Amino acid sequence: MKFRGKIVDVACLNHFTRVVSTISKLTKTCALRLTPDHLFFVLCGKVASGGVAMWCELAQANIFDEYQMEGVSSQDNEICLEVTPENIFRALRTVHNAKSVKVKLTKKHCPCLTVAAELPTMSSVNRVVTHDVPVDVIPRRLWHEFKEPSLPDFDVSVYLPPLKTMKNVVDRMKNLSNFLVVEANLSGQMTLKIETDLVSVTTHFKDLGNPHWGDRTSQDGGSQSPRDLDAMAQARVDIRKLQQFLVGQQVNPSRAICNIVHQTVLHLILLHQDVSLQYFIPALA
Amino acid sequence: MPLLMQSQSDDDQYVLVATLDNARNLSNILKAIAFKDHAIFTATPNGLRVTVEDSKCLQANAFIQAAIFQEFTIKEDLVGLQINLTVLLDCLSIFGGSTVPGTSTALRLCYKGYGHPLTLFLEEGGVVTVCKINTQEPEEPIDFEFCSSNVTNKVILLSESLKEAFSELDMTSEVLQITMSLSQPYFRLSTFGNAGSAHYDYPKDSDMMELFHCTTTQTNKYKMSLLKPSTKALALSSKVSVRTDSRGVLSLQYLVRNDDGQICFVDYYCCPDEEADDE
Amino acid sequence: MDCVVTGGNVKVLAKAIHSLSRIGDELYIEPQEGPGLALRCVNSSRSAYGCFLFSPLFFSRYIVPNGIAFRCRMSIKSVQAVFRSLASLEKTVEKCHIHLDKQKDRLTFTLHCKYGLLRTHNLSFQDSETLQAVFDKNSCKNVFRANPRLLVDTVAHFPPSMEEVTLSVSDERMWLRNHVDEELGDSSAMLTELFLVSDEFDHFAVQAHTSITFCLKELRGLLFFAENTGLPISMYFDEPGSPLVLSVSDSILEGDFVLATLSDDTRNDTRRGDTPPARPPDDFMNDDMDSYLIAMDTSIAPGPSTTDSTSSKQQVVANHRTRLHSEEEEEAETAEKDGPPNKKFCSLLFGSVLPLSSQMSTQPVSNQEVLASDSDDDTQID
Repeated sequence: MKFRGKIVDVACLNHFTRVVSTISKLTKTCALRLTPDHLFFVLCGKVASGGVAMWCELAQANIFDEYQMEGVSSQDNEICLEVTPENIFRALRTVHNAKSVKVKLTKKHCPCLTVAAELPTMSSVNRVVTHDVPVDVIPRRLWHEFKEPSLPDFDVSVYLPPLKTMKNVVDRMKNLSNFLVVEANLSGQMTLKIETDLVSVTTHFKDLGNPHWGDRTSQDGGSQSPRDLDAMAQARVDIRKLQQFLVGQQVNPSRAICNIVHQTVLHLILLHQDVSLQYFIPALA
Repeated sequence: MPLLMQSQSDDDQYVLVATLDNARNLSNILKAIAFKDHAIFTATPNGLRVTVEDSKCLQANAFIQAAIFQEFTIKEDLVGLQINLTVLLDCLSIFGGSTVPGTSTALRLCYKGYGHPLTLFLEEGGVVTVCKINTQEPEEPIDFEFCSSNVTNKVILLSESLKEAFSELDMTSEVLQITMSLSQPYFRLSTFGNAGSAHYDYPKDSDMMELFHCTTTQTNKYKMSLLKPSTKALALSSKVSVRTDSRGVLSLQYLVRNDDGQICFVDYYCCPDEEADDE
Repeated sequence: MDCVVTGGNVKVLAKAIHSLSRIGDELYIEPQEGPGLALRCVNSSRSAYGCFLFSPLFFSRYIVPNGIAFRCRMSIKSVQAVFRSLASLEKTVEKCHIHLDKQKDRLTFTLHCKYGLLRTHNLSFQDSETLQAVFDKNSCKNVFRANPRLLVDTVAHFPPSMEEVTLSVSDERMWLRNHVDEELGDSSAMLTELFLVSDEFDHFAVQAHTSITFCLKELRGLLFFAENTGLPISMYFDEPGSPLVLSVSDSILEGDFVLATLSDDTRNDTRRGDTPPARPPDDFMNDDMDSYLIAMDTSIAPGPSTTDSTSSKQQVVANHRTRLHSEEEEEAETAEKDGPPNKKFCSLLFGSVLPLSSQMSTQPVSNQEVLASDSDDDTQID
């Protein structure tokens, strides 16, 4: 089991740092799966994490200039680690101006992801800094927990409004309530609602557009029975979970999508070039 | 703004309707008095007065004249209500309260009368937010009986020069002592904290002092905890008038300019710390 | 004492006070006729000491009474309050007048600000004897001098929560890594290591290939001062256990921070294996991938892989070249009011060399437990 990757391009380094930063806002620990072509940050929806699940996928070729890995075996050519994204983020952040950064799996006092960076200096010799971020190796028998979640059979799929606007609204609503109702329909409308003893606030977004999922999803599944375009599907969620997701706006996604399974789950997707981030927030009663 | 337009047809049912092109012109000035949740709204044809009080010893008022609003329609001589100010401020800045030129939140504020919520329609960039804030029957604001004929001393300062003093005040001091005198030190703020005493002296001929009018030497103490909230007003204002009357009651009047350069006023009244009755 | 500081020097004075505040809670002030005004600070466990000496030339007026030795101490927070906002200080304060009123036991700072505004702070103080750490930086075997920027950039790699670093030197390089307390056994701690080559320093003289471990907090304090004044920082040290001296100076001021270091036997950091000079860390240029790759049998459940034999932490007699003379210790609790030091090594250096053994013997029993191994030292000093 071996892994080494090297980043030379500053834009790639910044991009990777932002992705890891976003992940670190979403979860304290998660699994990092390394395959020959991809990196996956995975959080499975356990009760301990409030049922929230996350799946983030990056194509290694778009980040690393060099990328070498050897998995557990030739059949299972993959490495699965439990990581603390915050630590990886801290390591990457201090080397933001590096000429090159290597990320390696190393054996120190314990298995570590080592971030080694060459920093520019005034002298002829570069400054080198290494951060050893302890990780746990996830044994093969537990890998099945970290598979890509299947696309839920959603009732409504809608593009999200500009995340900054949405974040402002959700931040204020968070001051007023702990729960928020997200509603959307197939006419490109979405509303965010809170209601307490003191106040009710409803924000209406319109003309958002509804993505066409084509044959990717169960077109002929349950949601296929022609749905009233104006009928709202809704999910009541923990407002903090949504707030955490919206921090992801720093990734500058080119597409942001919200899928709702009525009163069951809110499925949020951010797409940015090669990176996709999926986030599942379970609906509360 | 279709939702805003649409609501206008319902105007008949409201006793008060006020609109602003820029909600910040209301939220900013309300921030200057936001030190307690409960706020009393008093609307008259002249405009809106919002009052916040603490321990019967401190009162803050924000005045937003009818002319500040693009529309200000009131069907009665006086409309009063009580509301949670923190909630109102969160609602007014629902879109983040951006200061970027060209992006502002339009506001339409409506009230049907006693027992009804205060309804806000806010719109920015085509997104509409509707807020319904529950209201209560207003309490009667305290009358501090502060009238200009009883004013003994008055100074007008540029806020800038007081901001620094207030930001550095020794908060371990229980009181802030204000001295106004005919001779030196003229205008002095003093604290008496754990570390010792500190004085801030403003000479009467300072460029920071626009007016110095002193008829008698007066030294009064005010509870620091009561005066601390007034820093919010200080931060937003450009000038402040400091007055005391013969009883030692302090009046701080702040001149606040909004985003459009219009002038609004915020005032604070504070009782002196000693229970010194009129002599 | 009657002195006046003007212009940019007000800010320099303020920075010195803020940087000393990273060390301790009390500021010791000693105006002297010849050398100038000394401001000193020591931490509660007496493992760190800082001193700024402002020469009479630093002031536009400097008058101290002839022949009368005066010293006092006061809460550093109250002095910081005088100079609270460094930003506005530069913009608004034109002159600072420091006046001592012995009759009233009052030290008065008067700030003359723009537009004729006058700020007066009357601070009470207590008499004190002199606080003086004796150290001889010039006899140190290892001496370095660098632009503060270099050290600021270096320290930036270590998170603020990280308390101690180990610094190692060879002829050509300086390594820094965070010190992980084996006894705390926090295997999830991130380890950071960085090296600087001699070229990056203005002066790099190594006579002893040693590693020392010390607290970052006080170094950060002095960096705050040095970075703002642009003065180069010098470092002096010998072997583990003897102090690290950090210095800044120019023609009108001098600052020395003296920090205790872990003595050798307590410093063993088993998680790192060899000390860097023996096994240079990842050299990027000669990186051989295979040497970093590991073969891990994933059938083993994750967990701490290997645990080296625990290195027993043993307290060692402090180096006697560094002594802290403080003759007024009647109120032992002032020095120790923060409770026992939580880092064993911190108490080693100064705590053991206090001239007055009463300092230690008046400790509550709970403190004694922590400081138990120091009691030997106490008996050696009288």
